[in-house]
Amino acid sequence: MSTATTTVRGVEQVTQPPQHGKPGGIMRHLNLGTGLLTGIVFAVGAGWIVAALTPSSATTPTFAPAEPEYVYLAGLIGWVIGFMLGMGAFIGPLRWMMGRDLTHDDAEYMAGKDLGVKRYFKFTTDHKVVGVQYLVVTLVIFGFGGTLAMLIRTELGVTWSEVFSPEFYNSLIGTHGIAMIIAMIIAVSGPLGNFIVPMMIGARDMAYPRLNALSLWLLVAAAVCLISSMFVGGMQDGWSAYQPLGSQAPPGMLGYQLTIIVFAISTAIASVNLMTTILTMRAKGMTWSRTPIFVYGIFASSLMGLYAFPFYQYSQILALTDRVWGTVFFNPLYGGSVWLYENLFWLLGHPEVYVIIIPTAAVTLELMPVFLRKPLFSYNFAIAGIVGVVALSGLVWAHHMYMTGWAPAVNYPFMLSTEMISIPVGFLVLVAIGTFWRGTVWTRLPLMAVYALVFNKMIGGVTGIYLSDVPADQYFHGSMFVVAHFHYMLMGAGLFGAMGGIAFYFPKMTGRILDERIGSIGLWTAFVGFQLTFGSMFVAGLQGMPRRVLQFDEQFNISNWISTIGAYIIGLGMLIFLAAIIFSWTSGVRASGNPWGSKSLEWQTAQPVPLENFEVLPVVTERPYNYGVPDPYDEELAAEDGDRVEKVGAS
Amino acid sequence: MTATMPPPDAPEAPTNRPPSMHRVRNWMRRPYARWVMVLTVVIGFLLLPLCWLLLAAMNQTGAPASEIMQDIETTVFVFTIVSIPITAFVFAVLVYSLLGWKHVSGDEVPADESPAIRGNVIGATLWTVVSSLLAMFLVVWGLVELAQITANSYGTISADEQPGGKDALIVNVTGQQWVWTFEYPQHDGLTSDVLYLPKDRAVYFNVTSKDVIHNFWAVELGVKIDANPGAITQTGVTPNKAGTFNVRCAELCGLHHAYMETQIQVLEKDAFDSWVRESGGGRTS
Repeated sequence: MSTATTTVRGVEQVTQPPQHGKPGGIMRHLNLGTGLLTGIVFAVGAGWIVAALTPSSATTPTFAPAEPEYVYLAGLIGWVIGFMLGMGAFIGPLRWMMGRDLTHDDAEYMAGKDLGVKRYFKFTTDHKVVGVQYLVVTLVIFGFGGTLAMLIRTELGVTWSEVFSPEFYNSLIGTHGIAMIIAMIIAVSGPLGNFIVPMMIGARDMAYPRLNALSLWLLVAAAVCLISSMFVGGMQDGWSAYQPLGSQAPPGMLGYQLTIIVFAISTAIASVNLMTTILTMRAKGMTWSRTPIFVYGIFASSLMGLYAFPFYQYSQILALTDRVWGTVFFNPLYGGSVWLYENLFWLLGHPEVYVIIIPTAAVTLELMPVFLRKPLFSYNFAIAGIVGVVALSGLVWAHHMYMTGWAPAVNYPFMLSTEMISIPVGFLVLVAIGTFWRGTVWTRLPLMAVYALVFNKMIGGVTGIYLSDVPADQYFHGSMFVVAHFHYMLMGAGLFGAMGGIAFYFPKMTGRILDERIGSIGLWTAFVGFQLTFGSMFVAGLQGMPRRVLQFDEQFNISNWISTIGAYIIGLGMLIFLAAIIFSWTSGVRASGNPWGSKSLEWQTAQPVPLENFEVLPVVTERPYNYGVPDPYDEELAAEDGDRVEKVGAS
Repeated sequence: MTATMPPPDAPEAPTNRPPSMHRVRNWMRRPYARWVMVLTVVIGFLLLPLCWLLLAAMNQTGAPASEIMQDIETTVFVFTIVSIPITAFVFAVLVYSLLGWKHVSGDEVPADESPAIRGNVIGATLWTVVSSLLAMFLVVWGLVELAQITANSYGTISADEQPGGKDALIVNVTGQQWVWTFEYPQHDGLTSDVLYLPKDRAVYFNVTSKDVIHNFWAVELGVKIDANPGAITQTGVTPNKAGTFNVRCAELCGLHHAYMETQIQVLEKDAFDSWVRESGGGRTS
């Protein structure tokens, strides 16, 4: 604490900026409890006011929303505002408006200094706290979406009768879809992006710590909106919520739309924060050629999220006004266009796939050198792969619209761009297998997840080329084949990669090792179940089974039974994995600061990581992944070359 | 390291093949390289039956009933064959890394004994060239097939025009929650909820919807297009096999989306004409 050259807090010779006002105030009394309370009060209050103001005979030109719909919408908006206020999210700006800033003590309090466990339940700005909070929120949303998935498979496995009403079933598939999409988007970028990236680049915190906390608690507010929609009829139109079907859905649709509007704000804030941090706060000496690949992955993902999410947000704002105020953006009866909605939606929809896949691929490449004890095979190819995917990500969306009849002529260029994307993705595969090449495999849980990921990604990738091809898509579009394909990508590659990444960084985040035995049992159980579920779903799709159906012809029975059995096995595996996380977090084996012997910056911090991470900011002097010994074959080859030269010289 | 540097005055190595080829041959002599190749071939052959499994599943309800569907199956077959070598190679590396190269377990961080390979020019070039060529092949194949299918399905028809071929049958397909209606404008507006089609005669579909988006999927004919409210989309096909086939809705369209299906009866010309007469369809073509 006494290094004189650095600006360590608490050292007397550091002059503080002039401060106005005394530390303390209401912010010290705000936490999750007051947030929930204020949120509920605001929700009830807003709902009550709107109920009182709305004439009971309100009519709109198209689908007349009934009074409860307005009340629900007002309640949701009230909830989001009240919750954020009650959490203390706006303390900083409010103080500014009153002419004074947070004092130094207040800022430290807000970063969770000396607050112990309490800091996890407050609007805490420390990036490590935010990372852990993201992890918990991710697990909760996964649990919610996974439960819905089990219900869907139950309905489809029971082929002899309907278990659920069509209303409930349709809301299951929509809510499962969007919950899992949100969970996967944050699964790596949230916990690891926030917790690890600042440490990995040698920074003390994120560029905007308060925005960091804001993005997390907006996500929580959005998640509550989404879950609440299940209780008011749900959204019965798939996660894509195509219009005009969406306008027929019950009030739950409003929950979905508000979720997306709030979530897009949260994502934009998080993206800007991560990108600014990465651009401006890398340690001295960390040039672009010394920056770990995971940082590239998070940067790429943030960049794509930043341009893609606004499209989604606009589409939902327009759909919301269509529904509530009777505008006709997407209503063809009055000159609106259904294709406009589809375009706006898929302008998010496809970049979003890469928003999910790129960070999981990057965290995979980050952990492979550690467990194979050799450098990344061609760091430049990995970067080229990521850059290539980002460059093409915005040019492929209409391959979701081959069969809409929107503009048959654009099928040609979109087929071209979609199939081109297999080249940069191939680079990432090359880097992965090149890193496996002749490596000493340290068989630990994180690396095992990589095996699962690469296996699934190959199957997902190959089935993707059928779907990218217009003629073949003419058969597969809208069938179970598509469902199987994107589950192989998003779950098989995305989720298994995220499991590996979380197992890898678990010791840094919690101070304990993720239990290898229980974790591996969970991982491989889920893997086997996964192959059964989605392997047989490919077959159902090939046989011609449409997706999102409640009942189907007898010929699809067998593949659906296998699929359902597999789904329960996945559920069991995931529960075991969750048990491993909970058990290890509470009473696992304590880890040293660097249990995997990594040479990366984030592992050089003390354990537990202190507030502001580094006592003295590090200076980077070498390229990343400096593992391994000189290649013996290279020396042999060199010797042979020498021999040849000598022989030639002698003769 | 001194061995790598030839003496400055040594003559250029006179060799009838470039040094890179020498390196490849040298590399192929290493045991692990041979084993990975063997594994690739073995896994490739194990994956091969998948092609037939895929096609068998696609043909479960009957063989393709149009040229379009035959093209689609050919595409699936070709793409599978083309992707098998790369998939097999990646799987072979995964398997061999667990079996052949060293592995250690336990909590102790292993010593850095792996070779520090930071890339390989020949390998990376080969991978890039092969994957680019494969991608180009897929694109070219897809473009050619698409052009062919478009010619087969759209013909010269446009929204305002009568069909290019005089012989073509026009069917106006209307989706609504949750039934399909087929109208035959050339036969005094005859309507049916089962799609009757003549064999070996071009059919053009004008597809639209009365409410939400549906998707008109004639499964065994390989025809699929959205039925959009407020717009007419067009496609077409020439069935070349008589029999009973399926129409399903392939776009979530509300509560009873799952039940929005009907049948296609592809009939011989005479049988179709007599169906038209019996149903009161007036003149036949």
